[in-house]
Order: sequence, then C-alpha cells, then structure tokens
Amino acid sequence: MAEELVVHFEKLLTRVDGLLSAVVTDRDGVVLLRANAPNCSPPFTESALGCTFALASDQASKLGLKKNKSIVSIYGSYQLVQFNHSSLITTFVANSNANTGLLLELGSELESVTQVIATALHERHSGAL
Amino acid sequence: MLKPKLISQVLQQATTGGVKATILLNPEGSLLAFAAQSDRDARIYGAIASNIWTIYSKHCKPEVGPLSFLMLECEEGKVAISIVSTMILCLVARDDVELGILKAKSEALTRHLEEPLSRVAGY
Repeated sequence: MAEELVVHFEKLLTRVDGLLSAVVTDRDGVVLLRANAPNCSPPFTESALGCTFALASDQASKLGLKKNKSIVSIYGSYQLVQFNHSSLITTFVANSNANTGLLLELGSELESVTQVIATALHERHSGAL
Repeated sequence: MLKPKLISQVLQQATTGGVKATILLNPEGSLLAFAAQSDRDARIYGAIASNIWTIYSKHCKPEVGPLSFLMLECEEGKVAISIVSTMILCLVARDDVELGILKAKSEALTRHLEEPLSRVAGY
C-alpha cells in the first residue's frame, strides 16, 4: 500500500504547476511519505517543516478561532501549504508563483488519504500495546 | 512623525465585511495600533501572530527568500499576517470571509502604510 500511496502522491505533483514536493509527517517531524518532482530538491528540511507547523498550529489554535486547519507561508522563491490532518501533517512545497488556491483544494482532497494512514498507524500502535 | 490616531483610522477601513480585527505590531509582539472589538482580543491576536511569524521566519535562507505572507485557516476564522516595513500587519476575519479578499485587503494596507512606516523605521 505504501508504494501505491507514493505513486498517488507523485501523480499529484503533475496536477499543479510549480508543485515541487509533497510530504506527510507526524507531529514530531518523522517523514511517513514523500514525493518529489523530478530533478527538484527544495531547500527545506522535511522534518523541520513538520515541527514548524506543529508548533505554529498549536499557537494558532489559541487565537479563539477553534482548531487550526491549515497554514500557507509565502517566501521570496517558495511557498509552503501545510495541513493539519488529525495526527498527521501534509506539506506541499511549491514555487512562490504556483496557484495557492489549487494547493489548498488538493490538501482538502488528500484528507481522506491521510486519514487512512493515520488509522493504520493507530491500529498498529494499539496492536503493539 | 507618526500620528497613531490616524493609523488606527486607516486600519479601521479594513475591518468591514467580516474582518474582525486589524492590528499593527512590532516583531516583538507589542501593539502599535489596532482596530478591533476589544483591546484584549487585539493583544492576544498580536502576541500569537508575532510568535507564528517568528517561527516561520526561521526557514528564511538566501535560496528561499524572505517570508512575505502567512495565511492561517482555523475552524471559525482566518488570519492574514504580512510585513510592512519592519512591522507586522495582522488581519483576523470570520470564517465566511474568503482568503483572497483577506489577502487583497492586507496588500492594500501594506501599500498604503509602507512609505510612512519606512520613514520612522530607523528611529
């Protein structure tokens, strides 16, 4: 199943112009799934991205607007679109001129996929206990 | 020098159509001016916004470029955070406000405030 998920994520990279990388991590930054566009290596440490989002999302959830769902950060050359999917974090790394709205929609579509991963992890963890 | 009352009036112009608060703060989280329902709300939004900006600023490297904009989507609201000269501008809106209009308002305020704030940035 893991290979199928990686293939699915790699196909996603072709759907949005400028999308360079899709990563699923847990809240500690451990990478579960990774897909990079060919010949692209964005200058971000994937585990650091997950930790950054976890920290920022916890802060954002204290704004009085209930739970944080996603954070978009735009830099000079790149943008990060990150989603809070239960216990997992989905991160898209794209060029700064990529369509942010499309990336946000893509993240919403992927929620059901990451839910499958989160459930499988939870079942494995419960079984191990 | 700056006229704080005028800045608040400029920020007030953005608090329409579902935008609950517009806040100008320094990178340390101290408020310069705000237009919000209460000063307590403005202080909370400002402190958390500056904290989140600092967290994401750590990824700035020469090949990445400077952080220019942050958008946060929560279950009951949206937040846009951007930089104006050396200050941070934060807009907090209800959930039914689209991210595009929030970004447009943020960019309009940034264009308007950039020049006057740059003049006092050196002090």
